[in-house]
Parts: sequence; structure tokens; C-alpha cells
Amino acid sequence: MKNLVNEEEISEVAKLMKIDLADHNDHIKRVQKMLEYFDILDNAGVESEEITVQETDLDKLRDDKYNPYDKNLLKFLKSYQGKYVKAPKLN
Amino acid sequence: MDLGISALSYVNSIKNDEFTVEEFISKSLERINQVDEKLHAFLRVNDLVIKNAREIDTKIKSNQNVGKCYGMPISVKDNICIEGSKTTCASKVLENFVAPYTSTVISKLNSEDAIIIGKTNLDEFAMGLSTEFSAYGPSRNPWNTDYVPGGSSGGSGVSVSANECIASLGSDTGGSIRNPASFCSVVGLKPTYGLVSRYGLVSYANSIEQIGPLTKTVEDSAFLLNIISGIDSNDNTTVDNKNQDYLNNIDAGISGKKIGIVTEMTNSEGLSTDVLNATNDAVKTFEKLGANCEQVSLQMIPYTVAAYYTITSTEAGSNLARYDNIRYGYEFDSSGFEFNSYISQARSKLGPEVIRRMILGGFVPSAGHAGKYFLKALKVKSKLIAEINHVFEKFDFLISSTVPIQPFKFGEKIQDPVSLMMVDFNTVTANLTGIPAISVPYKITNGLPIGIQIMANCLEEHSLLQAAYALEKTVDLPKVPV
Amino acid sequence: MTKIGLEIHCQLTKLESKLFCSCKADYREFEPNTNICPVCMGIPGSLPLLNKSAVEKATLIAMALDCKTPGKIAFFRKNYFYPDLPKNFQITQLNAYGNTSIGWEGRILVEDKQIKIRRIQLEEDPGRLIYEGATEKTKLTLVDYNRAGTPLVEIVTDPDFETPHQVREFLNILSDLLENLNVSDPGLEGAMRADANVSIEGGSKVEIKNIGSFHDLEKAVHFEITRQHSLAERKIEIIQETRHWDDGRKITVSARTKEEEAEYRYHLEADIPWVRINDNTKNQLRAQMPESISSKKERYISKYDITPQVAGILASDRYFSELFEKANNETNAKDVANMITTDIMGLLDTREKREISKLEAGHLSDLAECVKSNKITRASAKLALDEIIKNGKPLSQIIEVLDLGHVSDESTLSDIISQVLNEEVKAAEDAKQNPETVNFLVGKVMQKTHGKADPELTLTLLKKNLDIE
Repeated sequence: MKNLVNEEEISEVAKLMKIDLADHNDHIKRVQKMLEYFDILDNAGVESEEITVQETDLDKLRDDKYNPYDKNLLKFLKSYQGKYVKAPKLN
Repeated sequence: MDLGISALSYVNSIKNDEFTVEEFISKSLERINQVDEKLHAFLRVNDLVIKNAREIDTKIKSNQNVGKCYGMPISVKDNICIEGSKTTCASKVLENFVAPYTSTVISKLNSEDAIIIGKTNLDEFAMGLSTEFSAYGPSRNPWNTDYVPGGSSGGSGVSVSANECIASLGSDTGGSIRNPASFCSVVGLKPTYGLVSRYGLVSYANSIEQIGPLTKTVEDSAFLLNIISGIDSNDNTTVDNKNQDYLNNIDAGISGKKIGIVTEMTNSEGLSTDVLNATNDAVKTFEKLGANCEQVSLQMIPYTVAAYYTITSTEAGSNLARYDNIRYGYEFDSSGFEFNSYISQARSKLGPEVIRRMILGGFVPSAGHAGKYFLKALKVKSKLIAEINHVFEKFDFLISSTVPIQPFKFGEKIQDPVSLMMVDFNTVTANLTGIPAISVPYKITNGLPIGIQIMANCLEEHSLLQAAYALEKTVDLPKVPV
Repeated sequence: MTKIGLEIHCQLTKLESKLFCSCKADYREFEPNTNICPVCMGIPGSLPLLNKSAVEKATLIAMALDCKTPGKIAFFRKNYFYPDLPKNFQITQLNAYGNTSIGWEGRILVEDKQIKIRRIQLEEDPGRLIYEGATEKTKLTLVDYNRAGTPLVEIVTDPDFETPHQVREFLNILSDLLENLNVSDPGLEGAMRADANVSIEGGSKVEIKNIGSFHDLEKAVHFEITRQHSLAERKIEIIQETRHWDDGRKITVSARTKEEEAEYRYHLEADIPWVRINDNTKNQLRAQMPESISSKKERYISKYDITPQVAGILASDRYFSELFEKANNETNAKDVANMITTDIMGLLDTREKREISKLEAGHLSDLAECVKSNKITRASAKLALDEIIKNGKPLSQIIEVLDLGHVSDESTLSDIISQVLNEEVKAAEDAKQNPETVNFLVGKVMQKTHGKADPELTLTLLKKNLDIE
């Protein structure tokens, strides 16, 4: 059996994605299985492929015009004293 | 008044004064009350629909201009924004999120006097194929409520299939419109990438997803596509459809057309016998309709599921990063918390499948691993696109069953991640390549639906709908038992 | 050998709207969180809409810095969590999949040294964090997203600088260049920010972030070089790290190593298709590019009779070069130029002063004429300038109101001279002994006449009176 991706590494990634794995250790097992399945990509023989992308022209882009948003957006959001957005303490 | 009528029939009936909009809407609401407690297609029903209906009736009576939809009730997947209404994406982290603006597709429907009757259930953030991952409980298949309705647009599929509304808008990232369409025996269309504006669709995998209609008939699908498609200045990825009328000549038939039977989608291990039989039957039907059918192989298909999940988890990991509950989300005061721990706690309300995709999405594009996973997946995608382009030089359409299997029971697939992923096997190709694909209800076997998938090249919806229409006309399916 | 590299962020303040939405590019006048929309706030379902002029202006910058420019540009997502990022990713550029950022491999001359520009990229600015509350316990982190989405051009240089002074020179040249191109107003608060990386002979590279102003940049670089040398002298290893500039203590301090561990998972921004910029467009842009500062300077030197130094000062400043060109009629170019560099630049030394100034080219040409024809003295001209800047009245009115007319009438002047000689007995004696000190008395006469006395005539009369040569 091929080596499954390291559990510790998966935990580190979860931290990076701001996912708290404390209660969810079976996620690690499932993620390992999914990553193991992705190994199939190694057999696709696509190393020399170029990636395909969608393209457009400069003249199709948005004109540089100031158009104020017509609503008080802050009313739809969580706000502090109706002016700011409050964030948790930063270190 | 038959709630099972198509959109076009509805419009005719309204025009012919057979009933009023208000009457139809009222009956629809009754129906929802009757069946939705069991089926759970809807997360929220719109309170104002009767008022809207009356307004449209007034317009009709006073001979004012009325929009093409004449007040028909349409449901909308709850990952599509409507100003002033909750858009939860079936997640707890957006429990209180009220959209401050309206999606382009909804604006278009509104200006054609459609009535948005409610928001439908989905797998959380559109990640799933059975609606079992909704944080608000699953939806149930109206053909047999022990079985899943498919996903992620499960609620949409159910609402149309159970005649709770005339049509629905869903979204399709890896099969999320076609899969529930197949499982619920309705028509489901994933348009060409860029044909329909994504402005207002909560992003999951923005390089491949599309909004599309779930309807009772193929003509209805064309009818709605006419309304929702077109270039949008709010979405830089939209393309010009040159104002096509998809209803025009929809009955032209497919005599002389070349149809490719996708080998890898019709002989894989995961294909059930009943589905294989239905597919072979469909091939015979196409031949009877005058088309030439031939096997065609696409080398990249065995890698598409892995490529799809690699690409979509990368994009999802990025698209869902904004859900840190700081600007919007749900009630959870950040006072006293430190930044990282607050966000992690806030995001712990994400469901299990979303969490797994977040982790995958952090892993596969990371500096140490991108070469093996993410970049390879992009290359598989490119090679697949080249293959598809080549194949469409010879063929007009490609076909397969929409899903390799029939609807499964709740809990049956949810344990094994790989077997769950494989349910997408036939559908992800269309997403990865951007081509349009439609699922047409074809058979009911053992009381459960089987749909046939037809694919065409980019922006070929007009002929795709002709093929779908031709197939649909050969089929006479029983009514939904609910 | 010391190696210094820079990473400069310039806001494209001359744009009307943000990089990906139609909110205002210049957020400075707004109440918190009132210059926002679903797009720049990253509201679910919103999509970025690239600003055409931003691409054009950024391309101009790339061209002005002699960069190679691509046939297609692409955008990428840099993913990380921070409260000033509405989407928890920044849309920026990267040269993966070939060269797709707005420019690369450019160069600029700084004091005879060729500084290589590694790359230029277009990206969005995040919002701003404000801290409220006195104690650790009550301190709140508040966010104002008005700035989120403001268009930025990031310019990264090779570590080609050798001294802090070169760095400062470069920044001045760059500011002038950006202003001249009419893409940015570097004087606006926060419009230009810079980070630096420093290494000394054989040492590791140290990044310095959090530098508030260009003045601080020079200090920070200087401090860091000194710090590294003192470590080297004591044979202590210089660790490769990121340090922050502590403006209070005027030192660099080690920042959390979190920065090095950052994993950004860069991937293409699929909501923005790759934008083709063809040669035709580039040629059109090049044709529209304003004259470069160096060619303007050359032109001033050859066309007008002014010194290279004055030409250089004028050419580098967009506001004054425009004033100069409008005000001069070729024959009085030298006088106009001198008036600008000697008097006006000092009077209008800040943005705010220039904004409220009522001085126009017409005033300046009139003034130069009057001084040339001896109608008023240079000293009076300076007073007149003061008034014109304040109220913009025509010169003729001001001359009358302030009574700036030349005092060249011999008898009037003689009277005044007599007065002065009576008041300044000692000075008069000194002048008789030491004729060079007579200028003091000239000055007194000028004072008494509020600068209106003809200086040459005054000198002649004084010398006559004191009987000196």
C-alpha cells in the first residue's frame, strides 16, 4: 500500500485554512483517502500540457467611472457603532 | 387546474383565461404546505407571492405589458442572491446573511414577471450530490422518499418534480443540476460556461460553475434559457449568445446527426445494470430518430473526477475563505477573542463535507504539492478540452447516462468518500470543458428515475435542445407518485 | 558590498474608480465604510470587474520604466486571512505560466547607477485597521474598508542599490516620474509606501516592512546596514528574516516568523479572463505618454536660455513645468524660470498651498515683464506674488494697491537716503572705511521703501553721498 499523506501535515493545512480539527479527527482519514485517490493523476501523462484559459480584450473591460453604490451597505453588515466593522484582536 | 403543467402550457392557460395567476399561486402554496414537510425541498417560502400574483393579474386584466413568465411560480436554489432575502447556501455560517443585492438571473426573471416562490435546499455551499450535506436537513426524492433526490440542487429538483412550482434555477459545478434532474425525473440543463451570468451566485468553483434551469419539459428549458442567458456587464466571464432564440425550431429533429456514445461513461465499473440497459435503449431510440450512433473514447475521462475535485477544492478553499463571520454570517460576538481562534471557531460551524474540501483545498495547491495535484489537474483539464474539441469535429452530440447509478438510499454513499466522488463520473466532463449538457428523463426502473445526458460543443445549446426535445418526445413516463 | 532592493506600492490615485469596482479610487474624503459596494466588500456572489484605465496607466508606468510588457496579463489570488481583506485573499499578479504581470525587466538610472526593475504588478489595496481603546483589554480592532480595492502598482527592484542615499534619490525620481505620467499624486497621504531588503557582504537578506514614509525608509535602511555590520564584526550570524521598522524607537525589530511560513496557495483568478494587450494598444499608449522628465529637461536647456540646474528642477515638477511653459514667451523664459525657482517654489511648497493658490500663468508673465522693464523691483515682485497667490487679482491692481511702483525718482530717493544715513551713523562710518559694507545701507533703504527703491540707483546715490567708489 502506498503511503498515505501524513496526518500531521493534514493538521497543519487545516490550521492554515482556519479549520479547527479538534472534534473532527475522522476528517483526516477521509481526506487521506481522497488524496490517495488523486494519485491517479500521476498516470495521466499530461506533464507537457499547457493550461487553457479564457481570454478577453482590453476594450471589453469596465470604463473607469466613479459610480457610488446607491445603498448604505454597512446596514446589511455587522457593524460597530454604525461606522466600523469590528474584528477580533490581532496579536 | 393541474399543477403538473409545463411553463409554456401555464402561459397559454393564463392567456386563455383558464385561471388567474393568484389561483395558480394559491394552489401551489397549498401543494407546498401539503408535501414539503416530508420532501423538504424548500428552505424558505416567499410570503409576498400572493401580493405579487395579484399585481400581475391586475396588469393582465388592464391590458398592460406583461412579462413572458406571466406570474409562473419559480423556485431558486438558496445559493443565488435576492436582495432583502436570506441566502444561506444551506449552511449554518450564513444563517443570518441577508443579500444586499439581486443576482442578474433573478433580475431578468423579475422583469419578465416571474414569481419567485421560495428558496430551495442544497448540499451545503453546493458541495455534494445528494443534498444530505445540507445543514438544514436533506430533501427527499418524491419518487421514493427513502431515496436521495440527488444534488447539490436537490431542493430544486424536488420542487419541480413534486409540482410545488413550475420550474427552478439551480447551479451546476460537477453535475449539480443534471444529477438531481436525473434522480427526480425532470429536465436539467447546464449551459455553456459564460452563457449565463454568475453575478449573485455564491461562488464554489468559479472557473467551471453555471446557473441553469430545472424544468418539466425541454421546451421549458429553452424558454428559461432565453430569459436568463446573455452577456452581463457585472460578470466579466460572460460571453455573447448573439440573442439566440432557443425555442425556435426546437422540433427540427436529429435526422442525420452524428452521436458519440462515450465509451468511458458507458462501460465503467461503477455503472449499474439498469442504467446500462437504459443507456443502450436510448442509443436505439436515437438511431430510430435518424441519428448515427458510434462509440467514442476520451482518454482523459478516467482522470476527470480526480482533476475535478482537485480543482474545485482549491477554488472552494479560496472562495469560502471570506466566511470568517466578521462582516456577515451568524450571531457570534467576537469580543474577547483573538483573531485566529475566533475565525477557527466561527468556521467550525461549517459542515463535514465543506470542512474536508477546505482541507483538500489548502493542501493540493500548496507550494510543496501543487505540482503533483493542482497543476496536474489543470493539465488534465486542458488535455480534455483538446480532446473534446477534436471529438466535436466529427460528432454533433455526445451521450451517456447522466449518473452511473440510480438514486440511492440516505446514508448509503455517505461513508465512502471515493464512491461518493464517483457518482459525478459522467457529469464532470461537461464542467471541466465548459460545454453544455442536458439531462432528459428517460426511464423509471423499480420506481426510480434514470436520465440520459446529451452534450454538445460550446454555445451549441440550440441544437442540443433539439436533440433533447427529440428524445423527450419518444418517452412517456408515469406521473410522480406524490 | 551592500545590496539593497525595494518593493514600492503606488496607488493609482489619478483613476476615478477602484481596480475591480466603481467605488471611488481616492477614499480619503469619505466617512468610514461609505465608499464600499458588494464587489469590494467581497459579498457572496459578487464578481471583480477590471478597470480598463488601470491597466492602461499601469502599462504606462511599465513603459516609462523601460520594462518588457506582455501580450496578455493575468491575475492571481494570494490567499491569507486578515481582517483588512474582505475576501481573505488579494487579487494580484504573478509570473507563473509565463510572464503575465504588467511589466518586467525594466531599468532606471539613479545617479549614474542602472537600477534594474524586476517586475511591476497591478493589485488591490486592502482596507485599513484602526485601533481604539487604551488598555490591552479594551483595545478594539476596527476596520474601514473604504480603501479596499484601491488600485496599486507594485514595483520590485533588483537589490542594485548600494547606499541609503541612492534609495532616497530613486524614490524622488520615481515620485516625479509617476506625477509626470499623470497616474498618481505621490504627495497624497499613503499614496506611496515602500519595503526594503538589505544584505551586506556575504550576509543573508533581511526584509524591512512597516515603513511609514520615504524619509523613514532612508533611516531604516541606514539603521539596518549598521545593525548588520555590527553583527558581522562580532562574528554573529545575520539571520534571514523579516523585520519591522519601529518608528518610535527608530530601529528595526524582528517580526514574527509567521511571514516566512506564509503559504499563499497562488492560483489564477478565474473571474477575470486574461486580457490581451496588443501592440497597437501599446503604441497608442506610448504615443499618449507625456514627455519624460529627462527629455523635457533637454528641451528646456536647448530651447530656453536657462541653466541645466534650473531646467532640471522645473522639468521634474509637473505643476511648475506647466506653469513655466504657459507663462513664458521665450524671451522672458529665463526670468520666469528664475522667479519660479527662487520665489514661487518656496511660497507654494505644499500640495495644499498649490491647491488654494490663485496664481495663474498670466500673472507670472506680467510680473516678469514688469521686473524686466523696471516697473517694479525684484523685491516688490515677491510681495506682489504673495498677494496674487492669496487673491488672484491682476498685477496692475496689486501694484497700485500695495504701492509697489519703483522708486526711481532721484530726489525722493535722496531724501530717504539722507534719513537712513542719519539713523545709521555707525554704518555710514563703516561704509566709508570699508566700501563693501555699503550693502547694509542699501538694505536699509530697501526696507524703508518696502523694497521699491531701485537698488542700482540707490547704490549709486549712496556711494556718491558717502563719497566712496
